[in-house]
Amino acid sequence: MSTRIYPLYQRGGPQLRVFLPNFWMKLVRPQQEQPPNVVQFSCSIEMTKFDVKNYLEKIYGVKTVDVRTRIALGKTKRDLVNGYVVKEDDIKYAYAILPKDEVFKFPNLFPKEVEESQKQEEKSLEEAKKIYNQYVDRNKDRPNVPGWFSI
Amino acid sequence: MAAFRNIKSITQISKLFNNAVSNRTVIPANTVLAIRNLSTTKCLGGLMEFFDDEKNWGVNEVKTGKSWSIDELRIKSNSDLHKLWFVLLKERNMLLTMEEESKEETRLFPSPERIDKVEVSMDNLEAVVKERNKAYFELETGETGERKVEEIMGPFGLPVQHEQEEYLIPKHMNAEWQKKHVHDVDNADVKKFVRLYKEKEMREKRQQQTRDFNHVIGLLKRFPDMDMEALKAKYPDVDIDKAKRSRKCRGHFVPK
Repeated sequence: MSTRIYPLYQRGGPQLRVFLPNFWMKLVRPQQEQPPNVVQFSCSIEMTKFDVKNYLEKIYGVKTVDVRTRIALGKTKRDLVNGYVVKEDDIKYAYAILPKDEVFKFPNLFPKEVEESQKQEEKSLEEAKKIYNQYVDRNKDRPNVPGWFSI
Repeated sequence: MAAFRNIKSITQISKLFNNAVSNRTVIPANTVLAIRNLSTTKCLGGLMEFFDDEKNWGVNEVKTGKSWSIDELRIKSNSDLHKLWFVLLKERNMLLTMEEESKEETRLFPSPERIDKVEVSMDNLEAVVKERNKAYFELETGETGERKVEEIMGPFGLPVQHEQEEYLIPKHMNAEWQKKHVHDVDNADVKKFVRLYKEKEMREKRQQQTRDFNHVIGLLKRFPDMDMEALKAKYPDVDIDKAKRSRKCRGHFVPK
């Protein structure tokens, strides 16, 4: 459960105890649509399926039925100036499958700001409409006169 | 993360914990303690612990305190440190999750210094545990209990620091290991590399010496009455008498 060095296990040796695990796990929004009881994590690349299962169960108290993992290859890019190839880090994704009756939905973490920005957009649209109507109203009786021509 | 890698075996820490528990003094229940107990947040439970408090969603700033310093951690008991580690671990996971989601949504992640604070705290905590472990081992066995490091000849003919590890079969009996870990230092290419590498090192050293020498000449020219002891201390490789005798050292004035 961590990147430390442990004594080699030999028959009759003590059970491995992890006191200060240093693995990290991020709960991420799934890229593909998943069943409601599947949660996607990205985690330390050294973590095994058993590690993920134990981590969730012992530290977070989340029971899992099954865990699947994959390693996503980091993208490679060519440097625009010098032309060498740059590679992003590989990421390990873990899919934790919860019991059948449990449901997890990724929450919307930015609810307030979205509403505010929508309101602002509506406001500016209204204002634009108003100005356009004023312009049309003013030029009703004098067609083909440029917009800047006014007393 | 690199700091985490060279750590003693975990059974050693377990011994430390057991030892500390047996030595703990019992405080009567009616004693008023001047210290505040380790406070933990209420367990929200489950996967929502990966997310921040709901009132912090979408805000521009989250105000937080400072990280745990080494001195604060030194006065904590082992079991308190053990609990605190998991609090910090969960906090870091939460912050990483929030950061990732902010990145995905191209939104502001409020107060990103929180991650650094947690990581500093974790480093400090680990340093304290290591300290105690080392003290315990030195007392009990006379050794530090740290992973042993030896200097071996690397594949390029240069010495490298090798962190020792356990093997099920001893090296001299393990033919497979020997086949894998053969370093042909007598190889012509390796020899050539070492020669060129040393040549480069020597050249850099010589150039640095010349640079220092010329710099000292410049200094003597501009400040003829400077403290020679200090100059000698700062540039021990430079022959100051020789520098003084140099033609470049003389200023544009008639010598007294």
